[in-house]
Amino acid sequence: MAIVDEVVALQSETLAAIEAAADSAALEQVRVAVLGKSGSLTAYLRGMGSVPQEERAEVGKTVNTVRGVVEEALASRKAALDAAELAASMDASAVDVTLPGRVQQMGTRHLINGIIDEISEIFLGLGYSVAKGPEVETEYYNFNALNAPEDHPSRGLADTFYVVDRSNDAHKHVKGESGVLLRTQTSPVQARVMEAQKPPIYIISPGKVYRRDVADPSHLPQFHQIEGLVVDEGITFGDLKGTLEYLCKQIFGEERKTRFRAHYFPFTEPSAEVDVSCGICHGEGCRFCKGTGWLEILGCGMVDPNVYGYAGIDPEKYSGFAFGMGVERIACLKYNVPDLRMLVEGDMRFLRQF
Amino acid sequence: MKVSLKWLSNYVDVPTDIKEFCDRLDLTGTGVEGVEKLGSQFDNIVTAQVVSKEKHPDSDHLWVTKVDVGAANVDADGNPEPLQIVCGAQNFNEGDHIVTALVGAVLPGDVKIKKSKLRGVSSCGMNCSARELGLGADHAGIMILPEDAPVGMPFAEYAKLGDTVLDLEITPNRPDSLSIVGLAREVGAMYQRDYTSPLAEMAAKMQLDAAGAPIEDEVKITIADDVRCPRYTARVIRGCKVGPSPDWMVERLAAIGQRSINNIVDVTNYILFLLGQPLHAFDLAKLKNSEGVAHVVIRAAEEGEKLTTLDGEDRTLTSDMTVISTPELGAVALAGVMGGLDTEVTDETCDILLEAATFEAGRTSRTSRNLGLISESSMRYERGVDDHEIELRSAAAAMLIAEVSGGTVARAASNDAGIVDVWPRVTPAPQLQFRIPRFNAMMGSCIPREFIEDILNRLGCKVSDGEAEDVLAVEAPTFRPDLEREIDLYEEVLRLWGMDRIASSLPGGPGRVGTRTEGERKRDVINQTLRASGLNETMTYSFAQPDDLERLRMKAEGLGDAVELINPMNADQSVLRRSILPGLLRSVAHNQAHGVKNIQLYEIGETFHAAEGRQLPKERTRVAGVLVGAMGDPSWNATPQPFDFFDGKGVIESLVRELAIPKVHYKALSAEEAPHLQPGRAAQVLSGGTVLGWLGEIHPLAVDAFEAHGPVVAFELELSALLKSSEAARPYVDVPTYPAVSLDVAFVVNEDVTNERMMQCMNSAGGKLLESAQLFDVYRDEERVGAGKKSMAYALTWRAADRTLTSEEAEKAHQKLVKKVCGATGAEVRG
Repeated sequence: MAIVDEVVALQSETLAAIEAAADSAALEQVRVAVLGKSGSLTAYLRGMGSVPQEERAEVGKTVNTVRGVVEEALASRKAALDAAELAASMDASAVDVTLPGRVQQMGTRHLINGIIDEISEIFLGLGYSVAKGPEVETEYYNFNALNAPEDHPSRGLADTFYVVDRSNDAHKHVKGESGVLLRTQTSPVQARVMEAQKPPIYIISPGKVYRRDVADPSHLPQFHQIEGLVVDEGITFGDLKGTLEYLCKQIFGEERKTRFRAHYFPFTEPSAEVDVSCGICHGEGCRFCKGTGWLEILGCGMVDPNVYGYAGIDPEKYSGFAFGMGVERIACLKYNVPDLRMLVEGDMRFLRQF
Repeated sequence: MKVSLKWLSNYVDVPTDIKEFCDRLDLTGTGVEGVEKLGSQFDNIVTAQVVSKEKHPDSDHLWVTKVDVGAANVDADGNPEPLQIVCGAQNFNEGDHIVTALVGAVLPGDVKIKKSKLRGVSSCGMNCSARELGLGADHAGIMILPEDAPVGMPFAEYAKLGDTVLDLEITPNRPDSLSIVGLAREVGAMYQRDYTSPLAEMAAKMQLDAAGAPIEDEVKITIADDVRCPRYTARVIRGCKVGPSPDWMVERLAAIGQRSINNIVDVTNYILFLLGQPLHAFDLAKLKNSEGVAHVVIRAAEEGEKLTTLDGEDRTLTSDMTVISTPELGAVALAGVMGGLDTEVTDETCDILLEAATFEAGRTSRTSRNLGLISESSMRYERGVDDHEIELRSAAAAMLIAEVSGGTVARAASNDAGIVDVWPRVTPAPQLQFRIPRFNAMMGSCIPREFIEDILNRLGCKVSDGEAEDVLAVEAPTFRPDLEREIDLYEEVLRLWGMDRIASSLPGGPGRVGTRTEGERKRDVINQTLRASGLNETMTYSFAQPDDLERLRMKAEGLGDAVELINPMNADQSVLRRSILPGLLRSVAHNQAHGVKNIQLYEIGETFHAAEGRQLPKERTRVAGVLVGAMGDPSWNATPQPFDFFDGKGVIESLVRELAIPKVHYKALSAEEAPHLQPGRAAQVLSGGTVLGWLGEIHPLAVDAFEAHGPVVAFELELSALLKSSEAARPYVDVPTYPAVSLDVAFVVNEDVTNERMMQCMNSAGGKLLESAQLFDVYRDEERVGAGKKSMAYALTWRAADRTLTSEEAEKAHQKLVKKVCGATGAEVRG
């Protein structure tokens, strides 16, 4: 057989072998056997010297052609095998995507602090800062400086926790002698801020407060308030309204309405209570809102001139407003928490919901 | 306060739309807490007229009537259609006006009116007798109304039996609203309509007994302390016959929930609710001394003085209380709060001394609260009863008493008003200005002058032109003690103008920025880090049990004294906490008792530390956490390890990293130093020399004492120390550009050689080329490692910042390090 014929025969053998290779390893064997250092086609190239002169050109051409054909067939077969193998391997590694994922457990924010964060954020955006004050307070800051009447029942032992005053040797174990108490409102921070800082004042003060209530589904002896105070030139009742309307919409949603009801507080004049329209009946009246269509959420008013008097701010030059709201109340309205005691129990099943 | 709208409407037009009226009351500051409709038992009962009357075909005593009930029954086209009703009464004729119960009505005795057939004839209702309506005993026949009675009107409306009673929340600044007439004035202002007060007319109706002895012969008044009692008046009504009150007064009082006692007491109550003036009726005979004179002395009670009050209770009085007394009897009444039992009006009483006075607000409030005696009188006195016009209110009362009891009012020798009147302290009417432009500027409104003047006038102020244009001079009425200053008038105008009419705006002050302090931002970082570490924030009580620290075995050293409550709710909450841990352990126990095994809690809160000589305790903010169980339940692809010391430490390491706290180290705490922690699993956390807090596993006995199950990994850090040690930012370190060489080494060392010591040695021996040493294994085996020894294996990373480190160089440095570490610590390299 002429060399050329041998080479052509080799081509068909090789192409058949390539076609038959079941995986990339078998294919590689074929490649090595034909194109490797000691491969059969390589041997023809190497043995070119011994090919008779007259055949050399044709043999050379044929060998090169065959090599081209074989390489192309190898590449194409390799691509096919790679694709099939990738497909098979992916097939084999398919998972049930409904199995649970691998979770890094994140902790949760307490509902009350979550609401405080949300409200603080709103006021930060309105240009307010956060002020803090002590939880154990003097009667002066908690009541007197806020214009609370001397005989107001809220000062009584039934409503306010008093603590032993140890400022001198004779420990004062009774109210009247001891004017030290657990603050019943965050408002004393108002008094402290006005004493320490000159207007303009734009602050909120979230924090714990204490009242002598037995813990039950709707009362806790320890709860939270957020106090707000603005004192500046030219502050109007309209500003108070606009600010609190914005707050209510931010907390409860754009569609909720607010209304201001005239009310009485010793440290503001004029004073008002603010209601937000009931989210369940949308103002029609239902059990949740006791048929009124409204839910009371905060108290507010223009700062009483007497309060400025305690702080030495000129009420002819400055005006301002103050407001206060119960955080637990907002939590109940937003999340329908059925029993406030859950907020202090630390039950994981409760905490992890928020 | 309960208000009958029927009563109120005698003095002012009350809107018919009750819902709208209640909303307006709410918005203007008089809260409506309840609405009660009286007369609803007459629903579906209307006035009617007999159109025809025919014999029942199957009965000789029944009648078949057609009854016109007007619009109460209409045909398909909406035209009134008479009802056919079978009726057994004999006392009526065609054309008579009667009362008909429609189908759906419920008569007394739970008689439900339904459509029915009587002996084959259908009947759609019932013509009613007075007895059937519950209006008396008359059952002789059906009720026949006058000929001019309208047809088809609800019977309750026709007979004026309907009433709506509102329960109003009167704020403490508004004593004037605690009366019908006061509310009529308020409603008048609310709707800018006129109201009438019956006071002048009632007072004028009082007739004095010109023939009898003057009152001065029988009554003398001494006010010992005019601060406690600014005004005291007395009248005498002689020859009264104590008995039942007239129906109209019984009904008035019943509508607002007041039980009728007798005609005398009822008049005092009636005047109290009508005019807001508390009154007290004494049995004059019982007050008189042997000379026939009642010498009424208003004075401070003596400490320990006794009085039996009307309710039969024996009271022991204090000198803060004010009493009405006579020199002979001592205290006979607690001023402004309650009368005494011994001098009360009884069925035998003939002559009455009628007290009308005003007492100091604060003292009355304290007295009633301290004695737990809150009465209609004390409620009004503690808010302030006007000392002006008491003589008129007293005259109105005396007139009524005389009218209902047949008595006569004694004349006076010293005046023609028939009164003994001591009025040492006259409350002046405040003279105020109302600067209209300032008002509108402060409200953000433009409320017109006419409205302002009108409202102030309607509220009882006297308004005139002030010193300047746009300024009003206002004399505030003395019955409004809350109107003392200009701003108080602003509130009145604003609330009656309507807060809803003020346009909303936002403060426009310049140069205002909302800022957060660094401390607040760092506190956020702490919260975020703890949550990212899987801890859930909780809040426990600031209250604690006095023995909480002992229970926890925690040393009180450095924690000051507990803050003691004077009036705790209960013994379990009688002090303030000095550590957050007891609260967290109680939450652990709560969770475990409810079957929750995996508990990861943290709290950032205040602890309270009292000390001698300090009025306010020191408040420290603590960051505390507990880890119990594991991070989660075993899952198909994860098996969480039970928590131990190092989970707690990991949390703190993350905190320290996030807060950029430098030079943090952990010092083992001994059992003596931290008895609340399990010895050997207890550490102090420090940054340089600053103590940040502690960390460890709670001592098993302490865990038991809180009825929890361990192990409990816990930490408590001082927020201020964390913030103080925290640096603004971690410094930037160049990202390495040259490759590193990693070499491992295992040292066998004695048990007492700490990782900290090993790290110190390696860092000092490794020089600049040692980038890091990572502990990857701690191994103990008596045979292979030796008793009392452990193997500590470290992966060391060697790198040069400025070139590729050759392996020879790295190897050389590594060998030098190993040698130095062995020399310094007695370690041997494990082969």
